[in-house]
Amino acid sequence: MATVMVNQPVVAAPGQGGGTVTGTGTLLRFMLRRDRIRFPAWTVGLALLMGYFATALETFVESPEDLEGLTAFSGSPAGALFGGPGFGFDDLTTERFLAGQYGLYVAIGAGLMGLLTVVRHTRAEERSGRAELIRANVVGRHAQLTAALVLVTTMAAVVAILIGGLMASRGYDLGGSLLFGVSVGAVALVFAAVAAVTVQLSEYPRAASGTAGALLGAAFVLRGLGDMAAVQGSGASWLSWLSPVGWSQQTAPYVHDRWWPLVISLAFAVTAAAAGYALSARRDFGAGLVPPRPGPARAAAWLDGPFALAFRLHRASLIGWSVGLLAAGLAYGSFTQPLLDGFTDAPEDLVAVMGGAENLLDGYLGTMGLTMALAVGVYVVLAMQTLRSEESEGRAESVLATAVSRSTWIGSHLVVTAVGVPWLLLVAGVGMGVGAAVSTGDAGSFTGLLLGHVAHTPAVWLLLAVAALLYAVAPRVLPLIWVLLGYGLIFGYFAPILDIPAGAGWLSPFAHVGEHPLEEVRVVAVVVLTVLAAVTAQVACLVFRRDVVGRT
Amino acid sequence: MTMAIDIQHIDKLFGRTKALDGLDLQVETGTVHGFLGPNGAGKSTTIRILLGLLRADRGRVRLLGGDPWVDAVRLHRRLAYVPGDVELWPNLTGGEAIDLFARLRGGTDPVRRDELCQRFDLDPRKKGRTYSKGNRQKVALIAALASDVDLLLLDEPTAGLDPLMEAVFQECIREACAAGRTVLLSSHILAQVEVLADQISIIRQGRIVETGSLTDLRHLTRTSVDAIVDSPAASLATLAGVHGLQDTDGHVRFEVDGEHLTVVIRRLGDLGVRGLTVRPPTLEQLLLRHYGDEPARHGAVA
Repeated sequence: MATVMVNQPVVAAPGQGGGTVTGTGTLLRFMLRRDRIRFPAWTVGLALLMGYFATALETFVESPEDLEGLTAFSGSPAGALFGGPGFGFDDLTTERFLAGQYGLYVAIGAGLMGLLTVVRHTRAEERSGRAELIRANVVGRHAQLTAALVLVTTMAAVVAILIGGLMASRGYDLGGSLLFGVSVGAVALVFAAVAAVTVQLSEYPRAASGTAGALLGAAFVLRGLGDMAAVQGSGASWLSWLSPVGWSQQTAPYVHDRWWPLVISLAFAVTAAAAGYALSARRDFGAGLVPPRPGPARAAAWLDGPFALAFRLHRASLIGWSVGLLAAGLAYGSFTQPLLDGFTDAPEDLVAVMGGAENLLDGYLGTMGLTMALAVGVYVVLAMQTLRSEESEGRAESVLATAVSRSTWIGSHLVVTAVGVPWLLLVAGVGMGVGAAVSTGDAGSFTGLLLGHVAHTPAVWLLLAVAALLYAVAPRVLPLIWVLLGYGLIFGYFAPILDIPAGAGWLSPFAHVGEHPLEEVRVVAVVVLTVLAAVTAQVACLVFRRDVVGRT
Repeated sequence: MTMAIDIQHIDKLFGRTKALDGLDLQVETGTVHGFLGPNGAGKSTTIRILLGLLRADRGRVRLLGGDPWVDAVRLHRRLAYVPGDVELWPNLTGGEAIDLFARLRGGTDPVRRDELCQRFDLDPRKKGRTYSKGNRQKVALIAALASDVDLLLLDEPTAGLDPLMEAVFQECIREACAAGRTVLLSSHILAQVEVLADQISIIRQGRIVETGSLTDLRHLTRTSVDAIVDSPAASLATLAGVHGLQDTDGHVRFEVDGEHLTVVIRRLGDLGVRGLTVRPPTLEQLLLRHYGDEPARHGAVA
């Protein structure tokens, strides 16, 4: 059926006619050409991340005693939640710690690499319409998915070799190093296959990567719960075996060195990919299996002004952040007790971050309040970036051509975001409070926690106002706001360890309110920050009012 | 006669590029004014200044009796704008966007809105990201036409519409005009403007080079004639007003100045005409006529 008469730019040699994977080779070369930056960035980047962990750990750990100190935290339930099942931690070596504690994050990175690459080369291409041009050539129905999967497999192999080689080059056991590299690569493969299924479901690439990403998150949580149970020696440690990330961790490199859990990964990847192929044969080109639903033909009655519009535009992200912060609060809150148990003999530095041994509970809860405030800070910056895309994508112009003034336009987005700040902090605080109360069996800290969270509101407001001012001056300088947020983070966490003088933190909006319940809330700071934020926001509106649209 | 738009000698610089260079534009209340110019001539810049989104560096701008930079919000209640590239919110439906624009402007007629949706054949329940360019344009057009305003500022409003929808658009503009509204209709295609406009202004390189009714402008221009004749046509070249005559085996092509048409057509008839195409001047020809033989698109700015 496919007799090629003309020179095809995309498909060079279709060989023997009409298979559903005809053209895969050419497409693969094309994808490699498109990803000539991304391919090395992902693979070398993941290897460099591991190399960084290794170097940092070797610098930090100078004696066997230091290593012992690490075990106390990493072997605790909290350590297991954020690290792994802790194979061989009773007789700890540097490489065991690296694979057991940090390997998880490289594996998560590999998972993201797998799913994002597949979405990018399948659904995103289909959505943009470019795939239509390609499919009109002599290209089989399954060629794009196949080429994308082959591409990820290649990337995974490169990651495995780079990481294995890197670990072996540091003098760690060769067999274990290879196994560790391959376990990381396996996660990329599994989530590429997961994405092969999710790209069939919806028309939109974002929904495809979002669903696959959520499954990756679920895999992280499942193995976390299982690993916590495993180190405590009781509970549902089998949960780890439901997680693709768990399978990779169960290989226990440098301890048991078992390869067989990766057979499960491989079998899962093959099954999921096969399901992806089967589903793709059941849908039309460009369509999803889940048909798009028509929306309302009329705007709701409340959608009647600039403030309502701003709320409508931020609503989805507000809901997402509320759910995420509630879940994070519950998760972090729920290991208050395990943490207290684990920390009794943690390294001094770690205890210092939490406010000293005598105040460990309050210190932990206070630090979490700051953490949540910084997270809400991220929300605020992203919300301001929405404003930037509203302007650059031309929608702001349409609104400003109606009876909405420039200061009302920017002001409406500022007000909606500002109201979201205490709300999100409250939600995170409720999550923390409930989690902590369940974990410790004592609800006494609940109100203090809520106050400790919500008290950070003026600090986040100031961050928001500064972001608005930067945006008003010129949209392209908005990203500078990350510096202020990063500064607040570094000062907030590491000042006690790094001997940063207290005066250096003066510029951080987050350094003044106090980390309740460890410290008292400073009312003066709250008032001053609020006034400062209000004034800065006012200036931002004034600056924005005199400027034109279509800025960069 | 009152002026809905009165622009006197405005300049606008973007960095070193002069987008507008002493532009004058007057639009009478209750008329449809065609605003013609090649891409990059300064049409959108002028409209954005009229909206108060940009500020003129020099000159005087009056819109509906006010200063658009100072009174933007008050004036925007009385006008509706359709940009050339309509961008919608990806997760709002077309219907929501129409209602929203109308409400931000200060109210709409729901009956008229539904009627327009039907006439333009738009499904208002689809999400913004799923609309084609033409459908996004319809959303903005419906939102503008359903509003009870005095002035419509339309910047290449039919760029993505098919001929059927273009006809609907023309009908709607005639209705708007009958209802006493003023319309500024910008385009780079003469044919789109000439069917609707009472007056036309032609902009080139940031200044108005011609203004008047279409008849006024036609008078200044040449008509293209393309004919198949029985006898040799070389004699036509000697007539006044005939330019660029070409005769290949009985296929004659030439241009003729408007005021000499009668004589030339009579002489053409004597040659025995078997096929005849007479085309009105295109915008390019109008500009060519105005600037001698220099190509119109040459050296246009911003």
